[in-house]
Parts: sequence; structure tokens; C-alpha cells
Amino acid sequence: MKNSSNHRLAQLALQNTPVILFVVVFVVFGLLSPRFFALQTFETILKQASYIGIVAIGMTFVILTAGIDLSVGSNMYVSATVAGLVMQDFNAPVWLGLLVCLAVGVIFGGVNAFLITKVKIIPFIATLGTMVAGKGVGLLFSRSIQIPFPDSVLELGSSRLFGLVPLPIVIFVGVAIIAHLVLTMTPIGRQIYAVGNDAEAAKKAGLNVGRVLATVYIVSGLMAALGGFVSVAQQGVVHPGFGEGYEFSAIAATVLGGTSLFGGVGSVLPGTLLGAVLIQMIQTGLIFTKVDIYIQPLITAAIIFAAVLLDAFRNIQLQKLRRRNIRVEKGAPAAANAGD
Amino acid sequence: MKRLVTALSILMAISMLFAACAAPVAAPAAVPAGEQAAAAPAGEQKTICFAYQDLETEFWVAGHKAIVETLGELGVTVIERNANEDANKQLEQVKDCIAQGVDGIIIIPQDGESAVTIVGEANKAGIPIGVFNRPPANDSNPTLVIVANNEVITQQATDYMAEEAKKLGRKVTPLIMVGDLGDPNAVGRRQGFYNTIEANPDLFNEVIEVPTKWDGATALANLEAAMQANPDVDLLFTSSDFMYPQIRSVLEPLGKWKKIGEEGHVILGGLDGDSRACQLMRDGFVDATGVQDLFYEADTIMQAMLDAIAAGETTPENWMDDPGFALTQGNWEEKANDMWGCKLFAEGGESLDRTFEMP
Repeated sequence: MKNSSNHRLAQLALQNTPVILFVVVFVVFGLLSPRFFALQTFETILKQASYIGIVAIGMTFVILTAGIDLSVGSNMYVSATVAGLVMQDFNAPVWLGLLVCLAVGVIFGGVNAFLITKVKIIPFIATLGTMVAGKGVGLLFSRSIQIPFPDSVLELGSSRLFGLVPLPIVIFVGVAIIAHLVLTMTPIGRQIYAVGNDAEAAKKAGLNVGRVLATVYIVSGLMAALGGFVSVAQQGVVHPGFGEGYEFSAIAATVLGGTSLFGGVGSVLPGTLLGAVLIQMIQTGLIFTKVDIYIQPLITAAIIFAAVLLDAFRNIQLQKLRRRNIRVEKGAPAAANAGD
Repeated sequence: MKRLVTALSILMAISMLFAACAAPVAAPAAVPAGEQAAAAPAGEQKTICFAYQDLETEFWVAGHKAIVETLGELGVTVIERNANEDANKQLEQVKDCIAQGVDGIIIIPQDGESAVTIVGEANKAGIPIGVFNRPPANDSNPTLVIVANNEVITQQATDYMAEEAKKLGRKVTPLIMVGDLGDPNAVGRRQGFYNTIEANPDLFNEVIEVPTKWDGATALANLEAAMQANPDVDLLFTSSDFMYPQIRSVLEPLGKWKKIGEEGHVILGGLDGDSRACQLMRDGFVDATGVQDLFYEADTIMQAMLDAIAAGETTPENWMDDPGFALTQGNWEEKANDMWGCKLFAEGGESLDRTFEMP
């Protein structure tokens, strides 16, 4: 009896490793710097995690199919640049700027989808190519000059829903909920997991694998553009270096959230959301505790590495625990165990 | 398939339309570089390869224009190569220039280490090479180098900020936004800031350091966190002027984006000397900025390169210093016109007359 409840407790702990790690990091930084526990701090962490979190949600769709999208950073830059130019040169209203931004993101994702599903280039190479080309297109548009967004966009970025919750957080959480519902309650969501588990088997089962893959890269493009807009709405300007290296932050957030790089396993809620917030929490915590800036990257890398290691350990332990829970009933045929 | 191709064609057409609507290149810098540069060596037409790592800030864009336009006016053919921040690609581009038999090479390298390698290639080929603004990691290979003295220029700006801080009559909490720690320019600026701090031990509390990696979003996130952890910051130095929009985004909601003389003003300073810093100084938000003398640097490297070509030198060596200067609210009237960013700002039809009352 005691053994069984211990097992259940261990299983529960292992199943919620990302949450536990999240709480541990939060408490440790809070103890080192009491101001870290302030509600305002948590709000800042969520707000600053919002844009990478949104990009990471798109990345989760892609990684669930065992793919990768290295072009999200360039996509963020080019879509925000085009939106900024449209608002600057044509005095377009903010809503139109946002629509243009999202449209460019979808086009970008569409190009990736075309290269991967029709030209049959592997995702790593295809998106590496569009990463370089996209950056070039963005610089061609901007001529390497900072593109200022109108003050109305900055006001939007710093506004609060009902005067309470910052808009970037609302968008982040809203997108996460929608993505979660799509992945868990719709046919396309189930198809994404099926393709990620075994694309060949999914094809044999009658799924249109090409369409599923095209969908995830377009979703990733859309999310990159939205994430870019949310970030620029907080900064007020698109700098030519904008978006560089963000693909790695998005991938890290996705993997930290428990999504397998081999596809078929993972979630947006709580997975990717927690991963994105955890990365930002570590960065903010290091600032609060005034850690030497030469040491900060090492600590960040160590925590991320430890988290991924813990995740791998958790999966192995969970498999073991599940195996232990399987009991062969007396008198049942030995074949009942087949396939375990 | 047909529908998809049609849709993509339409989308491509739309993106071409956006390209056509793209903003024009910034107005060319006033040509002080050309006015002072030496004439090109007489004789046959000379060709110079200009290989740069990227043009991601107003500083690089203005430097690129000054060099390309002035060389063009002097009748020198310029072969341009953009490495898009890829050091290996830049090495290949320089090798390509060498194969084309250029008379000289000017580079803006991606980093100090790759500069050493690229200079070595040019040395082996016997072609004079010059490095603009970002120095090689060591002087093992002979080259012409022009570089701003980041440490000294920063200290000039932060010394002025310290003098302003003394007027508050209390200890102040300083904050520095540090650039990419792999960039010697960022490290030099940090050192210059600390020189001022260490020279005034009774004036300053513990320094708050905010890493930015030269990235706007990182700068915004880390500065917001730092201001929450240390709300009493009253002196802020940014290692590059391009981060002022992010600084404003953080300070404004806290009621700290105030002009000089207003209650709650944070003593602000930076380094580069771009047009945004000029505008913010004119309007009273920024107290001082360290200025890299861009046009002097462009002139100097071109002059040295043309002289080396004329003299038939294949591996000229000379490390030249841009002493720069600090533009402060104290010397605004005399020095504003010397800052490259203010020249660009004035060329845009803006006045350099202060828009606020100095206390």
C-alpha cells in the first residue's frame, strides 16, 4: 500500500518536472533577492517572455512534426520591417500595419512550406536558406536603417487589458490557449502528432502529410510575425539586428517545455509556455541577483542543460514506473504481456 | 499544385511591391571625407576592395557611404562585398578580391580574430590592407588600422556625467548597459565607464550592469528587470546610442524619462554620436555622448591606403587612433556641429538649437 502511494507520488513528481523546476528556480531567485517575489516582477517576466513565447508556440507545431524552423528570426525582422515601412510611408493605421506584418509572416511560412513539401528540401536546409535570404530581404527593404514605429504602436505595447494585465501577456496567453485547443481538440492537431510519431505510418493511414507539414510551417511563420510585432510594440523601433538568434531561444523554450526534437511528443500548455517563461525568469533572476555578467551565460546554459537532462531522466523513470504498474492477472494468458 | 504555385506567384508579386515601397537610403553624409582626402595616385585606374561585415547601424551606414562616395569621387573603382556577419564568408570574399588583382583592400571585420586571418591573406598576396574601426585581435600581421579610443572617449562622457551627479549632493546609483562582451569596442567602453566610477568612490553606489549583447529586445528586457530590482538608479550609460528607444520604453512608464532640470531626470549618456543622440541632446533628455569621429576615421584610412598604393608598399603597418571627443550639454554650442550624427540630423532639415532651457 505504502509502496503504491510512493510510486504514485514519484510518478506525479516526474510528470510535473517542468513545473517543479519552474517553482524551484523562482523560489531560489526570490530567496536571493526578495524583490524578485513582487507581483510586478512576475508581470515583467511574463511580458518579456511573451514575444519569444509566441514564436516558440509556432516552433512547437513544427517540432511536433519532427521538423525545425531556423528562419523565424529573419521572419520576425522582415515582417516587422515591412509593417513599419507601411505605417511610416503611407501613414497606415496600426491595425493595417499588424495585418501586413502577419501577411508577410504567412508568406514567409508559405515559402518554407513550398520548399519542404513540394521541392522536398529537408526542413533544416530549407529554413537555413530562408533564414539567410529573409535577412537579406529585410535589409533590402530597410537599407540597414532603424525603422521607427509610430507612438500609437508603442502605446499599444504598453497598454493593459481593463487597466490590469499588459497586452503582450494577454496576447501570449490567448495564443497559447488557442494553440493548445487546436493541438488537442481538432483533427489537424491529432494529425500533427501522428505525422510527428511516424510520417510513413500516417501516410499509409490516409493522412495528407504534405498538407499537415505545410500547415505547421505557415503557422510558424504567422507566430514569428506576431511575436515580432509584439516585441517591436514594446521597443518602438525595428533595429537591423532584430531577430538574430531568436530561433535558438524559441527552440530552447520549446524543448525546455518538454517537446521532443524527434516529434510526436509535447504540448503548448503548460509545456512551451513554461519553457519560455522559465528562460526569461532565469535571465531576470540573474539581473536581480547582480551576478557577474561574464558568469551569467554560463549559469543560464547550466540551468537549461540541467532542465533538459532532468527531462530525459524523467522520461526514463516514467517508463520504468509504468512498466512496474502493469500486473499480469492470475490465470491470464502470457500473451497479455505482449507488446509491453 | 497549380493553385499553390499561383498563390505563391501572387505573394511574390506583393513582396516585390513592398520592396518598391521600401524607404530610400539615408541621405548621404556631408562629404567632409572627400574634402580632405588625398587625390588618388596618378597613373592607371586603381581598384580598392571594400569588404564589410554588415551595415546594421547608422554608424556603419554613414561610414560606408563616406568611404565609397569619396573613393568614387577620386576616380577609384570600388568593389563592395557584404559578408552579412559571416566571418568565413568575408574571408572568401577577400580571397576573391585578391584573385581579381585589386590594388588595395579595406575591411570592416566581423571580429578581431577573423581580422587577423584576413590581413594575413592580404599580406601573403602582397596587397595593402586597412581595417576600419574594429581592430584585429593582435598585431601579428602588418596592416593599416584606424580605431576609436573607446575607453578614453567613454571616460570623457562619463566624467561629465559624474560632474552632473555631484550637483545632486548625494551618492548616486549608476547603471551601465554593456554591449557584446566579445566585441573589443564594448569592453573598452565598459572600462572607460569604470575608470570614472573608480575615480569617484564617494559619489557612486554599487554599479548595476545590464548585459545587452547589442540586441534591442535583450536590452529592453534586462533594463526593465534591472530598474525593477533597483528603482533608485539615477545615472545611466548606454554603450551604444542605438538603445535609446528601449531606454525610453523603460524609463517613461516609471516617470523617469525627464528633461534636464525636471524632477526625476536620470543623468543619461551614451557612445557613438548618432542622429538620435543628437536629437535627444538637443531636446534635453541626454547629458553627454562619446563621439567616434566617423569622418576623420574614413578620411584617415583612405589617405593611408592611397599613400601606401602610391608608394608601392605591399604590407604597410600603422595603427592610427581616433581620439574622438565627448559632446556634452556643457560644450553643445561649440561641438555639436562636429558630431557626425548632428551633421546627418541637420542635413535632414532639423535645427540644432536647444528646445529646452538649461538650468
